[in-house]
Amino acid sequence: MIQLYNVFKSYQGNPALTDISFIVRRGGFVFVAGPSGAGKSTLLKILFRWESYDRGQVLVNGINVGKLKPNKLHLLRRHIGVVFQDYKLLAGKTIFENVAFAQEIVGTSKKAIRFQTWEALKNVGLSHKKDAYPLQLSGGEQQRVAIARALVNSPEILLADEPTGNLDPEISFEILKLFEQANRKGMTVIFATHNQDILHRGDHPTVSLKRGKVVDSRVLS
Amino acid sequence: MGLFLFIFINLNSLLSAWDQRVQLVVYLNDGISADDRKRLDQLISRKIEVVSFEFISRKQAWAKFESSFSKESDLLEKLDFNPLPASYNLKIRSSTDRLAEIRQLSDILVSQAGVESVEYGEKWIGRFETFMIFMKVFLMALASLISLGAVLIISNTIKLSVFSRKDEIELMLLIGATPGSIKAPYLLEGMFQGLLGALVSISLVKLVQVYLKYQFQGSFETLIRGMEFQFLSQTYIVTIFITSIFIGLMGSYISLQQFLNSYYKK
Repeated sequence: MIQLYNVFKSYQGNPALTDISFIVRRGGFVFVAGPSGAGKSTLLKILFRWESYDRGQVLVNGINVGKLKPNKLHLLRRHIGVVFQDYKLLAGKTIFENVAFAQEIVGTSKKAIRFQTWEALKNVGLSHKKDAYPLQLSGGEQQRVAIARALVNSPEILLADEPTGNLDPEISFEILKLFEQANRKGMTVIFATHNQDILHRGDHPTVSLKRGKVVDSRVLS
Repeated sequence: MGLFLFIFINLNSLLSAWDQRVQLVVYLNDGISADDRKRLDQLISRKIEVVSFEFISRKQAWAKFESSFSKESDLLEKLDFNPLPASYNLKIRSSTDRLAEIRQLSDILVSQAGVESVEYGEKWIGRFETFMIFMKVFLMALASLISLGAVLIISNTIKLSVFSRKDEIELMLLIGATPGSIKAPYLLEGMFQGLLGALVSISLVKLVQVYLKYQFQGSFETLIRGMEFQFLSQTYIVTIFITSIFIGLMGSYISLQQFLNSYYKK
């Protein structure tokens, strides 16, 4: 469960988020919508403590995010898979190695890594390209690799920051389907987007932000 | 660092060789009585600042003079008497205010019956003491600077290495790597760099030492007595290895911590 209470965040005195409060139940799927600069990315970054916040409370699976010390951040982040607009794949590693890398970091055994990486790539339809390098793939394919990497450690929460931002509509819907598929398996998904087609097609509760404030929430209890 | 230690050790051995040669010469009157000599002998042997002393009779002084100036035999033959006085050669202990001690001792000795004069090269010893202090301070300062330089160099090398793998580290942080697992490879790299540095430096020093020993040992000895071109002792070698590895570790720790803090403080 993700709980935010009156969260306030500013950058050098300029408010980026003001009084943000909402709750996402375990296994829920929520869109965070809003134009560029609305505070979607900042909100997501706060959830996995990439950014700190000035006031309020954020609880993720019972962990008080604001009180986590730097050497304990991994305890929060291991519960969360993150997908970015720019994929963040390592160009020098193959697709297989990129997905395996996420498991090496958390100390999975080599045997399990081979099996789980294969499964994760199969789930996103890219097992046949396991030896290719990221730059040899299309944008949609790269994003599918990034999703496979985010899912491979079976996190309880999946955060997506404009994952379809660089993709054409048809591919975007395919990507959305992958997130919905993960959600059906019990994962909590928070999907940030400014794409209206995705929002209509998805039909999930939405938190709409504008200039750092919640302007509409068809959510969430 | 190794080269510095090599210079330090050899300079130190040279300085201590010089240091041991600081002496005070007490010239005696030709007609000194046996009692006066005995009293003088007792006085000198009671002085704690005197490490050792030697009596050189007029005959011994002449024999020494003859052997030193054997090439000038014509001149020596023309001298039909021994002009040299008997003397005491005193070796003085090394201490922080040796010059003052020598002055004091000289004043006591010169006022004794049967003593003609006392010589100790006041100016030379004064300069030598100043030079010794300067060298020690200079070498210590140099050692600190070299160590600091090494830490900065390794720190910058690791910083470059960290920045070249910035994306990978960022991803590790995102996925939930423990701080230890992020730091470990870089700390090991730093330690390895230190180890490699120690190996290269010790090998280089050995090469320099062998070269100097075989090329210049003989000629240098005549110029600067006490110069031996010693290699580093086992203790110094172990110290270099441990210090280098520690410097490598510190260098990489500093740059890594700076890098990680930039993420933690967001």
